[in-house]
Amino acid sequence: MFEINEKLMNLGKKMGFGDMVIISTLNDRKQVRFANGEITIAKRWLEKKTEIFVEKDKRVVSTEISNYEEKHMEEVMQNLNKLMSSVEKKEDYYGIAEGPFKYGEIEETFDKKILDTDPIEHIEAAINATKLDRVAGVLYIDHPQIYLSTSNSVEAKDEGTGIEISVRAFKDDLASGHSTNSSRVLSKFKPEDAGEKAGEIARMVEKPTLGESGKFDVIFDPMAIGNLLSMMGRFTSAMAVEAGFSFLMGKLRKKVASENFTFRDIGNLPNGYGTRKFDDEGVPTKSTDIIENGTLKTYLLNTSYAKKYNMENTANSGIIMPRPWNLYVEPGEHEEVEIFDVPRAIYVTNVWYTRFQNYVSGDFSTIPRDGIFLVEHGEIKGAIKNIRISDNMQRLLMGIDAIGKDLRQVHWWEAEIPVFVPYIRVKDVGITRATQ
Amino acid sequence: MDNLNEFVVDYAMGKGADYSEARFQGDEGINIMVKNGELQGVSVIKDSGIGIRVLVNGGMGFASTNILSKESVKDTVDVAIKLARSASKLRKEKIEFSEESFHEVKYEVMMKKDFSKLGFEDKLEYLKRIEEDVKATEINVPMRFLSYHDWIEKKIFVNSEGARVVSVIPRVSIMYNLVVVENGMMEQAPFVEYAFAGGLEHIEEVEPWKKAVEDVSALKNLITKGVKTPEGKVDVVISPEVAGIAVHESVGHPYESDRIFGREAAQAGESFVKPDMLGERIGSEAVNVIEDPTLPNSWGFYLYDDEGVKARPRYLIKDGIITEFLLNREYAKKLGLNSNAAARAVNYNREPIVRMANTYLAKGDHSFEELIEGIKHGVYVKSFNEWNIDDRRYQQRYIGREAYLIENGELKEPVRKPIIEITTRALWSSVDAVSRELEFYPGTCGKGEPMQGVPVWMGGAHARLRGITLRR
Repeated sequence: MFEINEKLMNLGKKMGFGDMVIISTLNDRKQVRFANGEITIAKRWLEKKTEIFVEKDKRVVSTEISNYEEKHMEEVMQNLNKLMSSVEKKEDYYGIAEGPFKYGEIEETFDKKILDTDPIEHIEAAINATKLDRVAGVLYIDHPQIYLSTSNSVEAKDEGTGIEISVRAFKDDLASGHSTNSSRVLSKFKPEDAGEKAGEIARMVEKPTLGESGKFDVIFDPMAIGNLLSMMGRFTSAMAVEAGFSFLMGKLRKKVASENFTFRDIGNLPNGYGTRKFDDEGVPTKSTDIIENGTLKTYLLNTSYAKKYNMENTANSGIIMPRPWNLYVEPGEHEEVEIFDVPRAIYVTNVWYTRFQNYVSGDFSTIPRDGIFLVEHGEIKGAIKNIRISDNMQRLLMGIDAIGKDLRQVHWWEAEIPVFVPYIRVKDVGITRATQ
Repeated sequence: MDNLNEFVVDYAMGKGADYSEARFQGDEGINIMVKNGELQGVSVIKDSGIGIRVLVNGGMGFASTNILSKESVKDTVDVAIKLARSASKLRKEKIEFSEESFHEVKYEVMMKKDFSKLGFEDKLEYLKRIEEDVKATEINVPMRFLSYHDWIEKKIFVNSEGARVVSVIPRVSIMYNLVVVENGMMEQAPFVEYAFAGGLEHIEEVEPWKKAVEDVSALKNLITKGVKTPEGKVDVVISPEVAGIAVHESVGHPYESDRIFGREAAQAGESFVKPDMLGERIGSEAVNVIEDPTLPNSWGFYLYDDEGVKARPRYLIKDGIITEFLLNREYAKKLGLNSNAAARAVNYNREPIVRMANTYLAKGDHSFEELIEGIKHGVYVKSFNEWNIDDRRYQQRYIGREAYLIENGELKEPVRKPIIEITTRALWSSVDAVSRELEFYPGTCGKGEPMQGVPVWMGGAHARLRGITLRR
């Protein structure tokens, strides 16, 4: 794939482009979906594509190709050049990173054994572990290869593997549990753990009663808080902040969360599903404290935004939009039993459909799904249903009063960005339900 | 290119498939983003590939490739067949498809103002006009994110049962996010979109720049003159925009047959609707909900679905009664019915699944004014920001962005954030009158795994809801 990058780079040089980023990817992805305990479809994608970003005098354009005939590539670059002549300057563009860089190996990101493993065996293991008949879910096997070349002396390759499963088990229509398991290496992939937890939650649901409106302490399962933090991860991008899609606007160096909450993006995290050796400019990925002990330290930046804000580059390029790799909550001191040891709380095992009334103020609601339980002094006192968490994102972060010790990686349909997160308890969360 | 689909289908049948289909899709277009007056990026879209779906021994396999050589597609077919065969081993009952009449047909949506013939500057001009017109209001709008997107979607669908459908559909969309700050208070109109299948004449007719001015003026008005929403039971009129999201979420989605049978259980969820609920009352007699992919120039437009079945309007609710589900061939067969052409795939690399197209609350016989006149004390909800619904599609919430008090049959001052949080049955049972005018609003409906965001329209008429308990 580097030959393709080189050809495109040479064509770009001839046309007088300045900054150029060429990212070629070879993606081999398998998926098996199941529902009602049987396979509904099995899929495989084998895709080869190349993203092209070029700049000339602060004018920036991009495209993507999958046809590698020389004539076609030449035509594409000529079209970009033609388009460039009519494009206005992006005044807040300050360039891409200067290479070359050195990249170390990141542990637990590649395992050949994943490529030959039988997906059906893992699905059966997960389904059996639920101990329930009605089970739905999906399993993925991933093998991405990324080839990056830039006009600033970067030539870098990353090859990874991954396997993950999402399992939702039903005891009946109103009694379900959901759990996931993701790993970059086969030895740490535990489909039966996901199945067991999904089944356990579903079986705990007995005749759920209507929940009440009001303020409640809420114990978030890692899956539930992971879904919210995965969405919040997008709001930490400098681009989202400037475009009016983030409640973190204007809050740099200010308190945005409880003191015990430290929230990172770690691009080089071993076994992280989003881990990569380098960002889209070739900068080696690293760990960045976004929120440290409750204070917002930085937005996620690429080279251009870092220069604009006069801040340190966080190695999160997206050329146009910086983005997180793996989000990570610093573990707290609490065992799981301690988190549950409160006079009264609601235990939420999963949420979905998080939507904002106002992205800048952070007013939002999200809907608990699967098992929802009333907890008193560490004991489950019964299942409830039909509630909604209706609150403000920053108030939720400020209300965190206990953080668990053990992190789980949450990455599935509802959490696009992987999040490493423990149980988290939040005080006085707004709960509503249908009025009629 | 045309022969490649036939080659795929024949090769798959020769390799032992019981059914095969090949769907070529090629998209070409442009994406332009402007943030706070500055061009952020211009992306040229050019993507094509072929998706292959087969049934073998009752198992379903799907594979796709963007390398369009005969060798590559042969390998892809081999993969799909192998996957289907292996999937068949973990099936209690075989997947079968309903019998349908198939056609060899070609259709194209024509553009009066053809965006493919315009340069980048002409397209940017639409966004600049929004910038300039918003600026001219002298309202403080410190955050402005605008985007323009056009593409021509060409599809060739061929299956082993005689279907051959070629379609060319141009699509164009303008979206904005505007944040108004006045008197130290802030209000937002996020993801407001105007979108069509067709040319730029539709954008010019709807004039998004005028809509943007109306939106920022309404937000300023809300900040400076807004009053608290009345609490307790009041009568409410919802606009076509709010009725549209409500029919999409609480009628369209729960009537998707794959949800009803649990296929999406681990992702977008299931449904409160069960197969035996056909014929059951779910709303008042004033409620009629239609799902129609064939609405000319609609954002969700198509004439044949991605299983090659001819599209038609679907009457989901008629006079308050559940009358029809959204069906693809797999679930039509299960129910002993015919498909009503609800199978859609967003691209060549996605399987076709049951989707909405254009869902709307059908018109009634009142004027909007009559709906308002019939209310002593209530609220008119014109637009919304926050909304969501549980994964069985029964408990939903819509929060008004632009909304007005109604006193003695007249619209009064703006009210802040009225919250309708209600069950599906209560919502549709409370409708006592529906207006004669229809309006439609575009959206991207998310479903499937991997996610497939498909273009849809939502909308319809105004509806009057009696005795709704609003929350602030």
